[in-house]
Amino acid sequence: MTNEARYKRAFSTLHASGNFMEVKTMNNTKKRYVPKLAAICAAAALVLALAGGAYAADVGGVRHAVQVWLHGDLTNATLDIQGGEYTLTYTDGQGNAQERGGGGIVMEADGSERPLTEGEIVEQLNSPEVEYGEDGAVTVWWRGQQLDITDKFDGKVCYVKLTDGAETVYLTVKYHGGYGWSNEDYPDPSDFYAE
Amino acid sequence: MRLSAAQAYEKYADRVFAVAFSVCRDRADADDVTQDTFMRYLTQDQNYRDEEHLKAWLLRVAVNRAKDLTRAFWRRNRVSWEDTMAELPFEEPADRDLFAAVMDLPEKYRVAIHLFYYEDYSIAQIAVLLGLREGTVKSRLSRGRTLLKNTLMEDWNDDE
Repeated sequence: MTNEARYKRAFSTLHASGNFMEVKTMNNTKKRYVPKLAAICAAAALVLALAGGAYAADVGGVRHAVQVWLHGDLTNATLDIQGGEYTLTYTDGQGNAQERGGGGIVMEADGSERPLTEGEIVEQLNSPEVEYGEDGAVTVWWRGQQLDITDKFDGKVCYVKLTDGAETVYLTVKYHGGYGWSNEDYPDPSDFYAE
Repeated sequence: MRLSAAQAYEKYADRVFAVAFSVCRDRADADDVTQDTFMRYLTQDQNYRDEEHLKAWLLRVAVNRAKDLTRAFWRRNRVSWEDTMAELPFEEPADRDLFAAVMDLPEKYRVAIHLFYYEDYSIAQIAVLLGLREGTVKSRLSRGRTLLKNTLMEDWNDDE
């Protein structure tokens, strides 16, 4: 018998203990993972307290007219959705037409998949965003606020607590390695895998 | 292409578990790695060239996650791999000896050996998956084989 055959026979005795429903159960939390790369910064937590201000949720009533926070500005935009994929068009502060797109799927408890709803897409658009400038600056945007975290990384991880009095978001940023947020606790930076 | 998360789990969970176990040598940790890997797959809306690309992605994520766990101090002093091995239903006693010999290898040799003999990856493919140079992978395979030969004697064939 070849080494390969013998090896496969021996190691075929290993089986995962869990099942897929356990994975889905783990995913049914309010944690959100953004498949983008972010940088890593310091372990010191930063708190960005928002002084209030309007938060525009899905306006409802008009399917493709929405208000979303873009770079700290509550912006009127047009949202076109097809099968969970969306295109957001708006005019920026300089009067230029801009467009961004995205989308995703949601796994239901029965294993079926469905596209994101408009409300979920707007929620995604209004979630924290990490931006890298050409000058090396790293900026967090959330609703009407921005925070410069360029010098706040410690060992390439930065933890940022965002609050507007009504909601608190715990944001973990890995320097050019992704970021994630949760309403309960800081996501573990090892959960972001950067390819 | 993209499989549903349920399909991917059914098809690759055991492979992910096996590679995770080859790294951390702990059933509970390997299960955690498996869950983490598929949760990541579930939450990332990513397409793959083909199933081989998907499998490679899963294994790479699992190896990296397993390595993170083995470095965590609070993960020490868990169930020994010998205790886990005692519960595995090997077909032949020689399989148990082979399993033990592989588990006794240093981690860097174990992973290369596992990816070569269990997943049928070439040296080049292992190098890409682990982020190593091919020469490094070849060296690790060679040393791992030497150690296995020393332990298993005639129960391990000479091959390169």
